[in-house]
Amino acid sequence: MSTKKITLLSSDREQFIVDEAVAIQSQTIKNLIEDTVPDEDGIPLPVVHSRILAKVTEYLTKHANYKPHNDAAKEELKNWDVKFLGKLDNNTLFDLILAANYLDIKGLLDLTCQAVADLMKGMSVEEVRKLFNIENDFTPEEEEAVRKENQWAFD
Amino acid sequence: MKPKTRVHNREVLDLEEAEAEFTQEEEIDPKNGGMRNFYCLPEGCVANIISLTSPRDACRSSAVSSVFKSAAESDIVWERFLPSDYEDIISRSSSGSRSSSSGHHLNRFSSKKELYFYLCEHPILIDGGTKSFRVHKSSGKKIYMIGAKELSIVWGGTPQYWRWTSLPEARFPEVAELIRVCWLEIKGKMDTRILSPETAYTANLVMKSVKGAYGFEHPPAEASVKVTSTTDITTINTDDGVDWWMANDQGGRSVYLDRACAMRRHFQLAPAAVAPHAVRNKELASYGHGRPTLLTRWDIAGLVQFPWSRGDGWMEVEMGEFYNVGGDQREVQMSLTEIKGGHWKAGLIVQGIELRPKNK
Repeated sequence: MSTKKITLLSSDREQFIVDEAVAIQSQTIKNLIEDTVPDEDGIPLPVVHSRILAKVTEYLTKHANYKPHNDAAKEELKNWDVKFLGKLDNNTLFDLILAANYLDIKGLLDLTCQAVADLMKGMSVEEVRKLFNIENDFTPEEEEAVRKENQWAFD
Repeated sequence: MKPKTRVHNREVLDLEEAEAEFTQEEEIDPKNGGMRNFYCLPEGCVANIISLTSPRDACRSSAVSSVFKSAAESDIVWERFLPSDYEDIISRSSSGSRSSSSGHHLNRFSSKKELYFYLCEHPILIDGGTKSFRVHKSSGKKIYMIGAKELSIVWGGTPQYWRWTSLPEARFPEVAELIRVCWLEIKGKMDTRILSPETAYTANLVMKSVKGAYGFEHPPAEASVKVTSTTDITTINTDDGVDWWMANDQGGRSVYLDRACAMRRHFQLAPAAVAPHAVRNKELASYGHGRPTLLTRWDIAGLVQFPWSRGDGWMEVEMGEFYNVGGDQREVQMSLTEIKGGHWKAGLIVQGIELRPKNK
């Protein structure tokens, strides 16, 4: 059985050849296939680095080929997702959120956002800043006001 | 430059090889896939992440940065923390309610966060004022109180035994005041589909005793909470023939409805206790904090419940708990009885039965 292949081109111009059924789980790629004339090297995804696109295609390949038909199969897919997440460091996790957001892949976005949300639960403000690598752009007065407004969450 | 090609097969995906290849050939490049500032995570993504935490985490994250504050206060986040059917519940709020929390006022909130906290602090009357609804602050789950009018109270329609009265501190237009009965029996029920699914709930009798209440010393009342399928309703088991303090074997429990009466009983059982006239002053103080410390045979293994102050002018006693799976139509049935003592009991005011998520 022959299936149509799609070539995706990462920001560092690495090609990823995947089945069309795999690729079109991304709404963005689906639209690009329909609406644009592809680059001769493939469909350019200028904001996704090959390091991340490899992870994205790994996820999409598993999910395209695996349509859970019963509880056991659903459980297996869930376990696969857990294992997939377990292999990611935090930087990759955040990059995957950006990629899933840009590529419009709901399942992957939900999965990665939930993973970060689980990390965030119970964290102090300082720990969240560190996790997201964010600078505090509040003045001390502003931060004090926000804390006061949300006092119950700090008790 | 000629692009590198990586083929992703349907069947085989040699990840380990691919990963080994990565570590060999790629240094982390700050411009591309490596370390960078995540400050640029779009606000929509941050909001999505925050909405998957909890109301408390969301409020705390407001203090992280201005982008977080904006995301953490967005309607996307609080719409998800509110019960999924909150709009339907609000639409059932009664315009004839005594408080200002009737339905049309609920449109005045400028944000869902504001509405969320309003619904946590201000119960709204729904379904013709027979129930009240509010939101459990730390979980967003649903809390209902069934008003006394909606409960089935034996002798409740006979003014010489129970009378219906209006109190400023009550959320319902009418509460039930016990004049005096020998047969004390209060029952309530609720369709579990209106509760939050996959949630452990407790059922609590919300009441208070008036000055001069009597008859609650012994035996304590029996409470039970059961979930049944509505197509197969079984009667509540009152396990006759078993001593009252063993009621727990059948999923029921013993509850004291009045602290003062419970204390009098305790002191009677403890001969070395202070003189009776000193008891009244001491009793509230010694019940002010934590669990009762007095040792009686009825306090074994915490099987006897004592009333607690709710902080809203009412007392409550936990009647029992249950786990709401959700999905199928089921009914939770609650009952409170004191029918074994056979003596007169007087001076209790019942506001309703509150079902709320069990605190972990």
